[in-house]
Amino acid sequence: MKGDVAPKSGPRVVVIGGGWGGATAAKYVRLYDPKIEVVLIEPNRQFISCPFSNLVLAGVRTIDSLTMGYDGLRKHGVWIIHDTATAIEPDQKRVRIGEGYLQYDRLVVSPGVDFQWEQVEGLAQNQDKVLHAWKAGPQTVQLAQQLAAMPDGGVFVLSIPLAAYRCPPGPYERTSMVAWYLKTNKPRSKLIVLDANQNIISKTALFRAAWQAYPNIDYRPASRVIGVDPGAREVRTEFDKIRYDVVNVIPPQRAGAIAVQADLVGGDKRWCEVNHVTYESVKQPGIHVIGDATIGLPVPKSGNVANAMGKITAACVVSLINGAAPPVLPPGNTCYSWVSDREAIAVVNAYKIENGKVVQIEQKLTPAQSPLVAQRAIGWTQSIWADVLA
Amino acid sequence: MHLALAIVGGLVPALSWIAAEAAGPLDERGALKAVTCSACHGAAGNSRSEAMPIIAGLDQVYFKKQIEAYAAGKRPSPEMEPYAKQVLELGVDDVAIYFSSRPRQATPVPSPAEAIARGRSAAAPCTVCHGPQGQGDPAKLIPSLAGQAPGYLREQMLLFKQDRRNPGDPTLAALKALMKTIPDESFADLAAYYSSLR
Repeated sequence: MKGDVAPKSGPRVVVIGGGWGGATAAKYVRLYDPKIEVVLIEPNRQFISCPFSNLVLAGVRTIDSLTMGYDGLRKHGVWIIHDTATAIEPDQKRVRIGEGYLQYDRLVVSPGVDFQWEQVEGLAQNQDKVLHAWKAGPQTVQLAQQLAAMPDGGVFVLSIPLAAYRCPPGPYERTSMVAWYLKTNKPRSKLIVLDANQNIISKTALFRAAWQAYPNIDYRPASRVIGVDPGAREVRTEFDKIRYDVVNVIPPQRAGAIAVQADLVGGDKRWCEVNHVTYESVKQPGIHVIGDATIGLPVPKSGNVANAMGKITAACVVSLINGAAPPVLPPGNTCYSWVSDREAIAVVNAYKIENGKVVQIEQKLTPAQSPLVAQRAIGWTQSIWADVLA
Repeated sequence: MHLALAIVGGLVPALSWIAAEAAGPLDERGALKAVTCSACHGAAGNSRSEAMPIIAGLDQVYFKKQIEAYAAGKRPSPEMEPYAKQVLELGVDDVAIYFSSRPRQATPVPSPAEAIARGRSAAAPCTVCHGPQGQGDPAKLIPSLAGQAPGYLREQMLLFKQDRRNPGDPTLAALKALMKTIPDESFADLAAYYSSLR
């Protein structure tokens, strides 16, 4: 692709990233104003849901059941380019793809997270052996295979980075599901959890209660992994060396590369600060950043929040392009975690906007784990996948 | 559109006319205030999932009553209590008008024919309030069950039976007494039957 990949024929929104935030934003701009052209740039040809991917590790769900195409967005008139946006030129209002470029009136960047490999010695050069499985896809399947192939009596080591990272309860759900799998299939095996945080950072009491059923979990808080050696099958914390049969290092994270390239990140070079009403970058006017890449709002880095940000940003972008005042709308967060093959727990957060800032109204947790919550979790995926993609 | 904006950019009345016309669904009363709801309740309140209820076409007064009960913790729900408080913040009347005016689309979730048949033959006590076709009675704030998501119907019957929906509410005492006479296994049949009605 060279030059102007597709000359504009009217107002246009370009969306970078077709995950929970970007796909939602692309769809809703078209729903709110079909006169606006929408181009979505996403390298992957299929959407794979991170929520529920811990069930794939435990053999409870297949990766296919979490995999969806982008045809639903095409039906809304979203033009999808399966490629990587390499640069943003805010002065020219252009996004570069390969040797060409696309022009926009407003840009929505939903870049997700990238990994800070350099934070763990030995990780960068061993990405094929030391899996993260923190972006649902081939690594999810590979880690499930490693777990299935582990001999009974083996040690599975899971490393959790310091917050902030994608999906705060995700590592603890993974702990629960790996422990459930081991208890069910390899009862002499052990799961060592090395958590860089001081404690379980989400749904703490509910996970603690669930883990009563899993004496095979050895949970070690304040244990930051600083090195991994696949040759010796060993991870290193600041104080200790731990041998493993299977290791899963969830690396520290930052906003996706394009956000760093375009200088949308703050002084920490990790996350993007945004306006709480319009999600416009505080650093680059005309560029809106949504999803896990954002920081400064009292919301978790979750798919549900990204979906809400996508819809709200779409409404704001459409209003701004049409010369109207953007609506003032708060996001919400519904987050289910599985703790066994049939039971789940949930946390829900509702927000309001106060003096231009997102403020939490309330957080509620399910009183206990139950199969009914698990049924609602399944209902939630069916509904929200459709809200993002259908 | 782009050209038009460029030409009339300085004229406020003309610009706002264009904006209003272009905005479409953005202008629909309550639509934006309901923007977070679709994550669970589907497009325009027509959930296509098994467990999440369809809220399109719900009577306004019934809708408002439920939101207030959720927010006050009278209808206990960890999911809905925070969101109900958000709806009250944003303006429950607008949201109620929005959902009540959406055409209701019956659930696409299929149920086994045998379960539907068993449910039909067990449904007589339900028809007294919910009507012969499960259509409900808005005047008495009795909701329609026809075409509702089966998983949701099943769960609500269980919650009524265990007095976990609006615990202690005297207006629901008769309903809960009835639920106590129905074995848990029949709830799936009744849910299958009512979700199959159109």
